[in-house]
Amino acid sequence: MIIDLQNVQFSYPETPDKNILNIDSWSVAKSEQILIYGSSGTGKSTLLNVLSGMLDVPNGKVSVLGQRLDQMSTRQRDQFRANHIGYVFQQFNLIPYLDAIDNIQLANHFSKHRKRETIRKDIQELLSELNLSSLDWHKATSKLSIGQQQRVAIARALINNPELLIADEPTSSLDQQNRDKFMSLLMSLVAEHNISLLFVSHDMSLSRYFNRVDTLSDINKPEAYA
Amino acid sequence: MFIRLALKSLLNRKGSVLLTLMAMTVSIFVLLGVEHIRNQAQDSFNSTVSGVDLIVGARTGGLNLLLYSVFRIGSPTNNISWDSFQKIAHQPKVAWAIPVSLGDSHKGYRVMGTTAAYFKHFSYANQHKLDFAKGKAFSDIFDVVLGSEVAKQLGYSLGDKVILAHGIAKTSFSMHDDKPFRVVGILSATGTPVDQTLHVSLQGIEAIHIDWQHGVKLAKSTVTPEQLKQLTLEPKNITAFMLGLKSRLAVFSVQRNINNFSAEPLTAILPGVALSELWQMMGMLENTLRLISVLILLSALLGLSAMMLASIRERRHEVQLLRVIGAPPIFIFLMIELEALLICLLSTGLATALLYLSLVIASDFLTSGFGLHISINILSGNNILLILIVISLTILAAAIPSLSAYKNAKKDGIH
Repeated sequence: MIIDLQNVQFSYPETPDKNILNIDSWSVAKSEQILIYGSSGTGKSTLLNVLSGMLDVPNGKVSVLGQRLDQMSTRQRDQFRANHIGYVFQQFNLIPYLDAIDNIQLANHFSKHRKRETIRKDIQELLSELNLSSLDWHKATSKLSIGQQQRVAIARALINNPELLIADEPTSSLDQQNRDKFMSLLMSLVAEHNISLLFVSHDMSLSRYFNRVDTLSDINKPEAYA
Repeated sequence: MFIRLALKSLLNRKGSVLLTLMAMTVSIFVLLGVEHIRNQAQDSFNSTVSGVDLIVGARTGGLNLLLYSVFRIGSPTNNISWDSFQKIAHQPKVAWAIPVSLGDSHKGYRVMGTTAAYFKHFSYANQHKLDFAKGKAFSDIFDVVLGSEVAKQLGYSLGDKVILAHGIAKTSFSMHDDKPFRVVGILSATGTPVDQTLHVSLQGIEAIHIDWQHGVKLAKSTVTPEQLKQLTLEPKNITAFMLGLKSRLAVFSVQRNINNFSAEPLTAILPGVALSELWQMMGMLENTLRLISVLILLSALLGLSAMMLASIRERRHEVQLLRVIGAPPIFIFLMIELEALLICLLSTGLATALLYLSLVIASDFLTSGFGLHISINILSGNNILLILIVISLTILAAAIPSLSAYKNAKKDGIH
């Protein structure tokens, strides 16, 4: 199992009465490329925060890549995330004043795969693979187009060879043509590097890329928790 | 990577960072400048006279006597008679005595009448005796020995003729132009009022006033220099005198003795005690300056803190992103601290360079205007301590935004 959630409940400390997550049982197998269909307000961000170990879950079992996140300390979860999970957002994926190479290198800096000799070469190979012209490697990423930025974001997410890639609506700011290019590039990369993909979107037209589609409201039933 | 990230982040916010940098630079400049000048002033002050056990003048306050006899500031209240000087100078406990006669000037520099004992016994700083850079002590009536600053500023060299003016105003209308003096010696720089003084013999002082009455020059000079040499030019009055004792233990008994001198009312002071009294009076001003410079620094630090705190809001996404790629909250804390520290270090560097430059430019002015010799070695012990304090305070001030970012990083997920 890549992901296994059992009896997970979560509410924010500021509003302890308002349950945000209530998941009885939900799991994702290793070979699956899963699309979770859901829009904001349905606990999407909270679920992703739990899966990436950004939030501490007091109740329930959260197992990701066979490791119990609910039993780890904050520091251990930070380390785990750096080592095993790639993450691509809808926007603000990059530090705007750093160039593409620095952004990617920074992600490498926090992981145990931190390497000094080959890192530059690895980054350059990855960027070439993502069709980013070498002319753009040393520009501040704020100067790149949205499409280019999202490709750098994938490179950043993949630099530490993660087993799991979480993508949170990465295509919503792209136009039709760029979206299709982005999706086929992403799918070929995850296939090639043998990475499990968890993709969240409210765009059902993307479902053709995935072998499993779940609806968030089927997984998470916060109102059912008494 | 860490420093690179902080540097690029600062460069990305050039505007606000530059203004904060300037505020910090100005405040550190003021702080270091005040401390340095204060230190230097105290040093140069305390080194004006040493090795003199007692200074004696007409009955007056100790500070007043110190100011006119040593610093050549202000005017003596009264003269003392040559007889009294002779009596006290020949007391058994007295090793040497230097008479001082003031009242004339040359282009704003005071003229001091004295004897050769002055060059032999007077010392400054750490028992430094006066050195001759050029020439020798006066031997003839119309010989003059210049302080280094006088020679430098007025461009005199050995053999030049100098005309003294009556009174101490910078522009005097009554000149002793009938009896010019000849430069026979120039002293090495001492960093004390000696540098601003012209030294002549007591006989010289007598000679230029010989055909004056009540401070006014008589119409026609009747005495020629040749005739003067025949006269015994013994002064009737002097302004003050300095004493060296055979044993320092006797200093209080000699002082009491002089204060109770029956022939005329006299005051004897211990120069060290009077110097520290005087410096204590300036302590108020000194502490005020220090307080102001500390307040300026605090306001600059608060500005730095406010700027960083405002930037935290703008950089919320950046912080989240760092968290997602695995940066622990402490990294966020240290990153903000490092940015503040970089601003502080850069400001310190700039302020030190600026202060150094200002001192190089202003040192001539300070020397001629205030007799202050300011060393340009800014990084003395006290200032290094101050810089360390500034750095610590910066870390403390930056802890406010850093902690705020740390807390956000800890509780915020991705939104």
